[in-house]
Amino acid sequence: MSRVVAAFWNPIVAKEYRSRMRTWRSPLAMMIYILLIAGLGFAIFSSINTFGGQPANYGQTLFMILVIFQMILLTFITPALTAGAISGERERQTIDLLFVTRIPPFSILWGKLLASMSFVVLLLLLSVPIFSLVFLFGGIELDQVLYAFLVTIVAALTLGVIGITFSTWLRRSLAATVAAYVGAFVLLFGTLGYGLISPTTIDPKATKAAAPPAITYLSPIIPLLWIADGGQSLQSYGIRYPNNYQNGGQYCGPSAGGGTFCTSTSSGVLTATGGYAPFQSQAPTGTAIPSGLFEGWQPWQATIVMQLGICLIALLASAFLLPPVRRVPWRRRRAVETTA
Amino acid sequence: MITAENLTKVYGKRTALDHVSFEVPEGEIFGFVGPNGAGKTTTLRILAGLLDPTSGRASIDGADVEKQPQQVHGRIGYMPDFFGVYDQLTVTEYLDFYAACYRQPKQRRTKIIDELLDLMGLSERRDQLVDTLSRGLKQRLCLARALVHDPVVLLLDEPASGLDPRARVEMREILKELRGMGKTIIISSHILPELTELCTMIGIIDHGRMRATGPVHEVIRQLTADRRLRITVVGDKEPALAILEPLPAVRHVEITNGAIEATYEGDDSTAADILQALTAGGIKVSAFSQVEGGLEEAFMRATSEEVG
Repeated sequence: MSRVVAAFWNPIVAKEYRSRMRTWRSPLAMMIYILLIAGLGFAIFSSINTFGGQPANYGQTLFMILVIFQMILLTFITPALTAGAISGERERQTIDLLFVTRIPPFSILWGKLLASMSFVVLLLLLSVPIFSLVFLFGGIELDQVLYAFLVTIVAALTLGVIGITFSTWLRRSLAATVAAYVGAFVLLFGTLGYGLISPTTIDPKATKAAAPPAITYLSPIIPLLWIADGGQSLQSYGIRYPNNYQNGGQYCGPSAGGGTFCTSTSSGVLTATGGYAPFQSQAPTGTAIPSGLFEGWQPWQATIVMQLGICLIALLASAFLLPPVRRVPWRRRRAVETTA
Repeated sequence: MITAENLTKVYGKRTALDHVSFEVPEGEIFGFVGPNGAGKTTTLRILAGLLDPTSGRASIDGADVEKQPQQVHGRIGYMPDFFGVYDQLTVTEYLDFYAACYRQPKQRRTKIIDELLDLMGLSERRDQLVDTLSRGLKQRLCLARALVHDPVVLLLDEPASGLDPRARVEMREILKELRGMGKTIIISSHILPELTELCTMIGIIDHGRMRATGPVHEVIRQLTADRRLRITVVGDKEPALAILEPLPAVRHVEITNGAIEATYEGDDSTAADILQALTAGGIKVSAFSQVEGGLEEAFMRATSEEVG
């Protein structure tokens, strides 16, 4: 048990906490973070009063914008916290001093990650009072807030692990930071963009509704929007109708109502196929992913599972890259000439 | 206590270490001397488990540096030639951090740190931030850090480099105290006299090869045993080199400052034989003299580039 505690709560965490909180940067970062979220919240609050509308949607709109904005803020903050973690030790020439201690390399990684992620959790906790404003309006349940925070923190963890991995792989902090930001934006917006560039083409013969490509669920934006409005804002994201297609002598195309209408090529009379088949653009909102790799899952579950998978792979890669001497089972030392 | 057997390290086409072997018994202070780039740091990093040798093996107190790095780390205190310190940490916190990294129990750490600060003369600086210390004090702090787990072996890579004369003397005094505590120490330096006073054993390394190793007095005798001749010839030097090199008494020939310098084993009679061989070979010798060499010069000779 003590070994497990020593591996997870190691001196590096305590040292990082101590040195991080002694600088003026941390309180300043916290202050700016809160001011930005609170400022945006106040701006939305003011504009809602001005424009009017359905009161039930106030809370939902406020929540959606705040939760996406918080995710984007963390996309800027987290790589900066972790991308210098290991490369900074190399640049400061302190890493060898750690390697010769009894702390195993994985604990060094873990300590750095835990210290950085604790700061992210602190930022999230600081934003809780602002998020509680949405309850004034209603329309958002507590479980939605909890799911959104869960997605946000797992996404931040993934960004943190990506930062640590680049920090371990690349020797220079500057290069690691640039790479970590590129990685973060690919994760957030690249995967989202993939759904627009290469959407799932609806199969006319399918019996289930089409879903965006599985990779798009890597972006935390999708589950966050889904949690906020039950998928309304993602109605036609990531899917496309086939241009036109032949269906048993009929000429079919998408209908405005989400189904499809077919017309006899000879008569030109429109015939509704009706029902769910042959296809519908999207499953009813608020339900699970209708088809594909994650069929039956909630989008946030797909996102968390994929991101934790990335975290695991990236952490294993870092644990392999970090030690000064990499020992792999298939490596054999050359024969040694020995002298008497 | 410390054993290196045929340590070889190859970086691409460059051989940084070429079959380096030595042994340091318990309680000895081994001075590891050689010019910059000779392979001292590479050897020490291999011993510290920070670098894998291309071939060869090394062990510390019975623990193989490649196979049992954790055991080795518990037994060594390593001070690199270049190192940094963390900002925003006081001297005490810095040492406490490393003591914790070496798994020293919390209740013992205060006592260990007090003793080390006292030994290093840093007691009055205990609450100072480490990045505000002078280089000399940082060196002492780094040495204190290497001692937090009471290691049996100390690997010190150029511990006195970059220090002013006063700080060098202070560092030497501290090392003498450590010697008194029975630690087995390897100290690397590119300055020989700095080590001869302190060390019981010495190893001279150059271009990745161990030129001489053993107890200090033996190595000095070995280095100064060879006699040297300075020969000036009229005309081309190549025919003279061609005559000198095959002679059994001649160990080493090189051209220095326009003259031929030949190291040989033997006495004045051997020198006379060498002169005779040159003149018999038709070489016009304009000057022929014995060169008196001190320890420093002997070291320079041992670590200079070989001719041919």
